[in-house]
Amino acid sequence: MRLNAPIPGANYLSDTRNYAWHRPPDIVDYDEAVSYLIDKIDEPEKKELVFAMLGIDAHITTIVTTILLQAVSKGKIGIDLAILCAGPLARYIEISAKDVDIKYEMGIEDKDRVAITPTLLKISLGMSIDSPEEQEIDGTIEKTMVQEAANRGLMSMPEPSDMVASPEEQAAMLGEVTEEEPEDELS
Amino acid sequence: MTFDDAVKKSIKQFLKGKLLKDTAALKPDGVFFTPEYFDELEEELLDEKTDSTIEKEEELEDEA
Repeated sequence: MRLNAPIPGANYLSDTRNYAWHRPPDIVDYDEAVSYLIDKIDEPEKKELVFAMLGIDAHITTIVTTILLQAVSKGKIGIDLAILCAGPLARYIEISAKDVDIKYEMGIEDKDRVAITPTLLKISLGMSIDSPEEQEIDGTIEKTMVQEAANRGLMSMPEPSDMVASPEEQAAMLGEVTEEEPEDELS
Repeated sequence: MTFDDAVKKSIKQFLKGKLLKDTAALKPDGVFFTPEYFDELEEELLDEKTDSTIEKEEELEDEA
């Protein structure tokens, strides 16, 4: 069986010094970094790419992330400074898009967020969802019971009509069940 | 938190007008690329007032 993974200890043998992000970044100043990134966006090719991305409904945050990761991978700026530069860069792209009347979306709104409702909560907890009709019936029964309790009091004595079983019930309790005569199938 | 999330959070804060206080404190002249700078840039380029400028003007009018 062949595994598609580095052999143990491979990290000690590989030369990682040439990765740009393993060396100190070229720019460490906030203003200098923002200026560099804005100049980059203003290059004709980059500008075309940015507008093309906006044209295919890419969010500004996606474009900013791409540009920043590119700058980090080239060793121009550190990753923490890149995060600080995200705001100004997004704002600049927004202004540029407005300038040329391109429809844009910032992408910081949580449109995909699902609102928490009682129904959703019931589903997530595995509780059964009552239909509106059932809920209405339950509500009516509950209301009647509450009304009766309010009229009579919870600890009051039940009415005699509630206590006495009907003659049929009494007969059934005493085992006096009248058996139905079997019908003559032949007749 | 992923890099994307951090970028989104950073953009949100900047659009709210919050600036890096500690970074600004390091420089005697302050930082150049502030939210106000971009508001002015937008006004110059688009010849229309930005939402934040309108809000500020309304606040000043209310105070007066």
